[in-house]
Amino acid sequence: MLFRTSFLATIAMFLATPVAAAADPNKVLRWEFQTAETGFDPALVSDNYSNTVIEGILEPLLTYDYLARPAKLVPLTVAAMPEVSEGGKTFVFKLKKGIHFSPDPVFKGKKRELVAEDYAYSIKRLMDPKLRAQMRFIVDNKIVGLNELAVQAEKTGKFDYDAKIPGLEVVDRHTLRIRLIQPDYNFLYILAMPTVGAVAREVIEHYHEDTQAHPVGTGPYMLKQWVRGSKIVLVANPEYRGLVWDFKPGDDPEDKAIVAAMKGKKMPTIGTMEIYVMEEEQSRWLAFQRGELDVLRFPGTFAPIALPGDKLAPDLVKKGITMSRIIEPEITYTAFNMQDPIIGGLEKEKVALRRALTMAYSNADEIRIIRKNQAIEAQSPIPQGVVGHNPKYRSSIPNDPQLANSLLDKFGYKKGKDGYRNLPSGKPFTIKLTTETNAVSREFDELWKKAFESVAIRMEVDKGKFSDHYRAAKQCQLQMWGQAWIADYPDGENFMQLLYGPNVGASNNACYKSPAFDKLYEQARSMPNSPERDRLFEQMSRQIEADTPWRLGVSRYRTQLVQPQVKGYKKHPMIRAEWLYIDIEPRR
Amino acid sequence: MSAYIIRRVWQMVPTLLGVVLLIFFLFNWIGGDPAYVLAGKISNPEQIENIRRQLGVDQPYWKQLLIFLQQILTGDFGASWSTNEKVSQIFLTRLGPSLTVLVPILVLETLIAIVIALGVAYVRGSLTDRLVMVACTVGMSISLLVYIIVGQYVFAYKLGWFPVQGWGESVSENLFVYAALPVLLGLLVGIAPNTRLYRTFILDEINQDYVRTARAKGVSENRTMLVHVLRNALIPIITNVMAYLPGLLVGAFLLERFFSIPGIGREVILAVERSDFPVIKAVTIYVAMATMVINLLADLMYKAVDPRVVLK
Repeated sequence: MLFRTSFLATIAMFLATPVAAAADPNKVLRWEFQTAETGFDPALVSDNYSNTVIEGILEPLLTYDYLARPAKLVPLTVAAMPEVSEGGKTFVFKLKKGIHFSPDPVFKGKKRELVAEDYAYSIKRLMDPKLRAQMRFIVDNKIVGLNELAVQAEKTGKFDYDAKIPGLEVVDRHTLRIRLIQPDYNFLYILAMPTVGAVAREVIEHYHEDTQAHPVGTGPYMLKQWVRGSKIVLVANPEYRGLVWDFKPGDDPEDKAIVAAMKGKKMPTIGTMEIYVMEEEQSRWLAFQRGELDVLRFPGTFAPIALPGDKLAPDLVKKGITMSRIIEPEITYTAFNMQDPIIGGLEKEKVALRRALTMAYSNADEIRIIRKNQAIEAQSPIPQGVVGHNPKYRSSIPNDPQLANSLLDKFGYKKGKDGYRNLPSGKPFTIKLTTETNAVSREFDELWKKAFESVAIRMEVDKGKFSDHYRAAKQCQLQMWGQAWIADYPDGENFMQLLYGPNVGASNNACYKSPAFDKLYEQARSMPNSPERDRLFEQMSRQIEADTPWRLGVSRYRTQLVQPQVKGYKKHPMIRAEWLYIDIEPRR
Repeated sequence: MSAYIIRRVWQMVPTLLGVVLLIFFLFNWIGGDPAYVLAGKISNPEQIENIRRQLGVDQPYWKQLLIFLQQILTGDFGASWSTNEKVSQIFLTRLGPSLTVLVPILVLETLIAIVIALGVAYVRGSLTDRLVMVACTVGMSISLLVYIIVGQYVFAYKLGWFPVQGWGESVSENLFVYAALPVLLGLLVGIAPNTRLYRTFILDEINQDYVRTARAKGVSENRTMLVHVLRNALIPIITNVMAYLPGLLVGAFLLERFFSIPGIGREVILAVERSDFPVIKAVTIYVAMATMVINLLADLMYKAVDPRVVLK
């Protein structure tokens, strides 16, 4: 009897701790962050680093296939992809049963199952005015009844989390129906963001004074140690259900080797994740070379040493170091303020001025001098790796200072006695370029100075803090300001919304209002991915070129260097925490 | 003595009020609106207004100033606007690492600089004196950044004597493993200017009549230098050392960044980048208070070192 009891107990323990068996505590992966995280409450953070950790701990409904490119959504805590009805307005999610949160004292030793209500609660939190969620925009004015709850909370001072709203209907314990105000096929991408990772209400309420330090989720890892701004240690979650590595190789030749090394492994295999905040490039580079880091986000500054001719240096190859590289799903651009009396407006001479400046600036010089060849020129607002990107599309605006001068001559920007051009009215003018105070900005100032000089236009540099510029841009008070946008989700709509008229004051920092563009955008927004929608994106790109509210810049490479002991690593454009899908040799 | 201390403490009040007004002015008129930073990359005017309301920056200025004064009196500066961590907690957890690096630097550089300065002052004009002075001039002409970049590359990466970066959990591990190289580099930077300065202080004393008298009376050179000269040179040395002390509260930003030390210096820079006013104002107030208290302590130490000093 005693034997039988202990045998059953052993079996029960084995079944209850599938991950403990798979994840080896001696397998420690050392990772780096370039900037300090802010915390791990998904409703309170928006930075990439905090979200990387959150991604390892909390689980949204959906995620991405590790190898598929372009990024492809797959179920995470749901049994299958949702049923979509009403032309992209209603989504029904059926959760897998038996998913449990990691152990926490709040649960008083009991297992806490993940239920549909957890997701409804997690989404509602983004609209709670008290939380000031920076990522509120991902659900703002999208879910039926949610904004009304927020308005009510602003009046009463308390967000009613118990209120039932038609947009977040908990059909049963494991079924969630989401109803949108208008069709939005991209909403599924939003449901793959760590921001909507499930949290348990009782955990949030218990740790209400410091929810940032108590992320409790159903994901593969849990927080063991957090030295703020310095070190984060995660360990395998014993309650994690585990997964068997079974991804299909894509077109990339390196996929086959990854599949051969990883197929069939029970994940996660890595028992401990150590993440170090290392702000200086030199420190990260030297630490990686000394073996103090296993994966390194390669600092472009060292490209001439480590990537001569765009290939790994022989000494690194000799050490067994490999490289995984993608084009970041991002673009850089310089926004012209379309409401500015000199540079803004849709009159022909104003368009000519913006276009001339665009033609005068050399992206090739920027890539060579500032980016150390770690970037490619962007041809349209939709970067590579993002749905809607057309690799054959070419911008109609070339880098051609001579043509720029001819254009300015044609539209009456004649040179004055001082050799600089005046407005068609004959009035002298100066254009103010807004940049920040850091070293890289000074390099951009130089390139812009060269561009302005090549078309004989006076330029003034307005230096200041990013936060001040940000505010001024939202109020349409800057003339020219360089920015970057990285995909929240890998769809062209996420980039095109940056120029949508109603987004002036929110994300449209060029303050661009074009009825033609807006009409195309509204059409595309309500459509699923299709060749027809791609055509709309192309028309929008051409409209942008015609009006030139932006000077399009570059998309940067993201190069990860990987130590030989790491197996199966491939940089994913959207997944930040690839730890769940890779392996490492145990430390001795 | 107690009357003097009370008077000096009382005199700190208007100074502190001046600092408060200055910070308040700088934040409200130059510092920008934090609501835009906290609102995230896509926001609307209603959200901005909601954040301003929650932070209290929509209140009349007099009310905001009153809240600021209340925070100083209670020592409770609230929580960081960007991370929600309590400001007191930030100081509590970040000061330790900063002090682990800065205190050894300050103590060692002071002691070493005094010893070298005494030695070279004693052999003033000799080849040794000139060589040390040239080395000091060269040493202090090089920026700390160069010392850090080269030092990290040579001692940590090439020679492997120290870890490139990191911070552990025990004081001894931090002091002897992780802080060792930052301390060494801090010493290389600090010893040169201090040696030159202290040499001057000591030379001023060596030329005094009382030294000539001591020598004429047959007092040994060791006693003359270590007891008479050093004691009198200590007053300006104390002033110099004391001037460094408030700096301990703001950490050593560059050393902390390059060696990934979770100190207060990095935190202050982060706070400035994020327009995190609760942290910025707490740091400024603490540094102002520390400067005033340390000045008072320095004056009291003058009295202890030199009984001729009269505190009025």
